[in-house]
Amino acid sequence: MVRSNYDYPGYERSGPVYWAKKTTLYAGVIFGALLMIAPFYWTVTTALSANPSVGIVTILPETITFEHFRALFAENPVERWFFNAIVFAGAVTLFNVAFDTLAGYAFAKLDFFAREKVFLLFIGTMMIPGMVTLIPVYIILAELGWVNTYRGLIVPFIASPFGIFLLRQYFLGLPDSLGEAARIDGCNKFQAFYHIYLPLAKPAVATLGIFAFMGAWNNFEWPLIIATSQELYTLPVALFLVQGQYTQNWGLVMATAAIMVLPVILAFLSAQQYFIRGMTLSGMKG
Amino acid sequence: MATQDSQSTEGGWARFGSLEAIRRKDNLAALLFILPNLIVFTAFLFVPVLFAVYLSFAEWQVLTGDLQFVGLDNYRSLIYPLPWENDWAVLSTPTVNLWWWAVSRTMIYTFGVVPVAIAGGLAVALVLDRQIRFKKVFRAAYFLPVMLSGAISAIIWGWILNLNGIVNNILGPVGLAHNWIGDPSTALGVIMLIAIWAGIGFNMIIFLAGLQNIPDELYEAARIDGTNGWQRFRHVTWPNLQNTYFFVIVLAIISSFQVFAIAYALTSGGPYYATTTIVVLIYQEAFQHDSMGLAAAMAMILFAIIFVFSYYQYRTRGNDEVTY
Repeated sequence: MVRSNYDYPGYERSGPVYWAKKTTLYAGVIFGALLMIAPFYWTVTTALSANPSVGIVTILPETITFEHFRALFAENPVERWFFNAIVFAGAVTLFNVAFDTLAGYAFAKLDFFAREKVFLLFIGTMMIPGMVTLIPVYIILAELGWVNTYRGLIVPFIASPFGIFLLRQYFLGLPDSLGEAARIDGCNKFQAFYHIYLPLAKPAVATLGIFAFMGAWNNFEWPLIIATSQELYTLPVALFLVQGQYTQNWGLVMATAAIMVLPVILAFLSAQQYFIRGMTLSGMKG
Repeated sequence: MATQDSQSTEGGWARFGSLEAIRRKDNLAALLFILPNLIVFTAFLFVPVLFAVYLSFAEWQVLTGDLQFVGLDNYRSLIYPLPWENDWAVLSTPTVNLWWWAVSRTMIYTFGVVPVAIAGGLAVALVLDRQIRFKKVFRAAYFLPVMLSGAISAIIWGWILNLNGIVNNILGPVGLAHNWIGDPSTALGVIMLIAIWAGIGFNMIIFLAGLQNIPDELYEAARIDGTNGWQRFRHVTWPNLQNTYFFVIVLAIISSFQVFAIAYALTSGGPYYATTTIVVLIYQEAFQHDSMGLAAAMAMILFAIIFVFSYYQYRTRGNDEVTY
């Protein structure tokens, strides 16, 4: 559908200038990409090498050993922490998707009292530094008796202003006439949302899902505060506490880092297609 | 109710009236749509914020449970200016007011990180939007750092920039080895570099989205007119990315003002307060010095700064909407 650059006058596909430009471009992109990836690479190689404290620059460790991973799992209930992290991130993601699609739709397609002001109020909460609310939220949960429970861990995060913003932008990009046609055909407002708009919003939902998952997976402060027993630690918290014991053993520290990084990378790669499209379409209209 | 209105109209010819009716009364439906968020936000954001506002006028020791209303004292004690000598030792005297210092550190961080991360993100997006081989692989590579939490990035970079880390092993033979994290004059720079490293990919994704929203026809027309690459960027890409800049800049500045995880995990605000940003200072006041009231007052000022900035952006932007 898109014509190639080369079909236009003045765009020659050969000659020294063309090749010089092309080489520079690729060299730059590859160099940048290497800068982005190198820390991950060193994380993994450090975790796999037998004696990383020497810190010598090598492309591959001289001897590859899984000793650091084995030690980590042998001395700690890593599986349990992994499970908790998945439950936390999974539940937060599901609730976020459900609640934020509803609200995003309302702000984009329904006309109601003080809509802009309420929206601004919701979005304004993005600006509140997390530190401000940490202690009051803890006190509220303590009153409810939710400290050291999954409920206490999950519930404060089940709605996110960023998700509402993202979904609103996306729904704004979809034509009003779709919903109006559905309404004239007898759909109520929820049906118009659920049957017409929601299926069209899959890319935005996937995007929100990734962000919600990443945010919860990487969340450090909150599980640290609300989980008082080891059984409720999530992976990041537990591993940071573990890391404190091994400060001089960089192999173990990097093994913990590698374990934390892997699931997010897998989640991203599995949803990458939708993700870019979601960002594109929810984009910047309105 | 609105459904009945639409049924009562005759065929499609009275559509104008029926649409008016459909559009008119959404209050109840909208309330139901928003309700779950409203409940969560009320319980875990609005009420806690109000409590924090009260706290900023009080002195509260969590450990002893001692809560006292002190009026404007917390705010008053933040106003005292800092001596502006560039002497690290001055900062460690306990009488020095660190608030303005933390503000200045945060400003340096923001003005250093935001433009570079945005320009870098735009540059990468422009290249990876073109017909380049393996662009999906490249996009994934540039996005990879975004998925790390600040704390993990800090740990990994702490290893790389360690005294016997990889960077010093490369620079050592050239005589440039340096205690990057331990030296107060380079520590903030290190944190800024990590933030740029982590931020480029995020901005890239948003710019890619913005670029793909620009209709191809505009570029085709421009090409037929015989424009060169720079002219197309200047007259087609640049103006059509306006909404994207807004989004990217606001998000970048808001998150820069709130930088915490990288600074705290890498250096705990040190050495010599070199990386004590606003939120690091808030955290230390609240949880290490046990003065919640002062921390809350700082948080309120931070919130006010961010709010004024964002609101200004929001209002000015409404006027120059781009239409295709």
